[in-house]
Amino acid sequence: MRLKIKPEWLLLAAFIILTLPPMQRFLEQSMVTHMLVQLPALTVIGWIFGRTLPESWSNKIAPWNRWGITGMALAIVIMTYWMLPRALDAAVSEWYVELGKFITVPAMGIALGVSWPQLNPIAQGVLKLEFWATFMRLGWLYLDLPDRLCANYLLSDQRVLGQLLLLIGSAWAIAWTLRVMFGTKIINT
Amino acid sequence: MRTFLATLFVAISGTLILWISTDGGRAFTAEEARRLEIRENPRSVPDWQLQNQDAETFTFQNWHGHLIVVDFIYTSCPSVCLILSGNLKNLQKDFSDEGKSDKLRFLSITFDPEKDTPQRLKEHLSHFSADFKNWVAARPTSPSQKEAILDFFKVIVIPDEYGGYTHSAGYHIINPDGKLVAIFGMEQMDELRAYLNQALEGKDNASEN
Repeated sequence: MRLKIKPEWLLLAAFIILTLPPMQRFLEQSMVTHMLVQLPALTVIGWIFGRTLPESWSNKIAPWNRWGITGMALAIVIMTYWMLPRALDAAVSEWYVELGKFITVPAMGIALGVSWPQLNPIAQGVLKLEFWATFMRLGWLYLDLPDRLCANYLLSDQRVLGQLLLLIGSAWAIAWTLRVMFGTKIINT
Repeated sequence: MRTFLATLFVAISGTLILWISTDGGRAFTAEEARRLEIRENPRSVPDWQLQNQDAETFTFQNWHGHLIVVDFIYTSCPSVCLILSGNLKNLQKDFSDEGKSDKLRFLSITFDPEKDTPQRLKEHLSHFSADFKNWVAARPTSPSQKEAILDFFKVIVIPDEYGGYTHSAGYHIINPDGKLVAIFGMEQMDELRAYLNQALEGKDNASEN
């Protein structure tokens, strides 16, 4: 019993640490850590939480979320919203947008955690590819744009983020290629 | 069926939220958003006190009845402000050649008032051979006024990696009634010129609203 409670407390602790103002400021002073550390961390927390939902909850959600479709739609809406440069800027300068971020991003993680495993494998493949393509597109965009997208971040920051996105996307592509060609399983997705 | 309804609800409300939060697909960045907002809802400029390059204090009220172009600078700026001010120099020259400059004022406000003393502001203007009659460089008189001014114009200033600043760059137009009515980016010089021409010519009938 004690062991079962523990992971949830860890999740809660991780979430609280992320919400602490000094941690917020630290992660949000650069576009790179804001987008590649804070947002993914909040998503992962939500995801794991979603996977450990009590059965009674899952049963209640299930008829509204067959094949995980509703949850994926919700996740896509939230993801799209936080890809708007002005949303990111507003989160830095307005407290209520920041609050919204700390609620909706973990919610997106929960929706993903609940819905992804139920999703049809073909739909999974399409979304994975689309997600990967988003990395590559945004990476290219950030490297190429002569202007800043976010008023709160430096152009050099945007460039570094672009490079990192391309790098992560490439690593992902290589891992996939190895898996298809040699069956080497480096990552799960 | 329930899944279909729930998905439909999420999709419709999601599209609606995205539509509203981009002002109907017209503003994706904070910069676009502030320009759009001002165009649609001009705001009266509060009467702040500023100190000009001759160390005299003045307020926006003193310039009532003039069309004012405001930009934000700091005098040790190596890049963007030089272009900003360079463009203003060209504007000033063109409009004074056309004899329209008496109703037009340029105002460069520094957001680095500790370093930018009136002396340095004067040097900055001299660099651009500014006509001091129409072009004033000024600094806010207190830190709280500086914050209020930046807040009002929604100008975001962040320190860069070379000890300077990166900041929202643009030309903010205040009409003769003392309202902030438009913001133009540095890439919109032609539009800015056309706007100023139109505003100066239509001045007589523009004052009615």
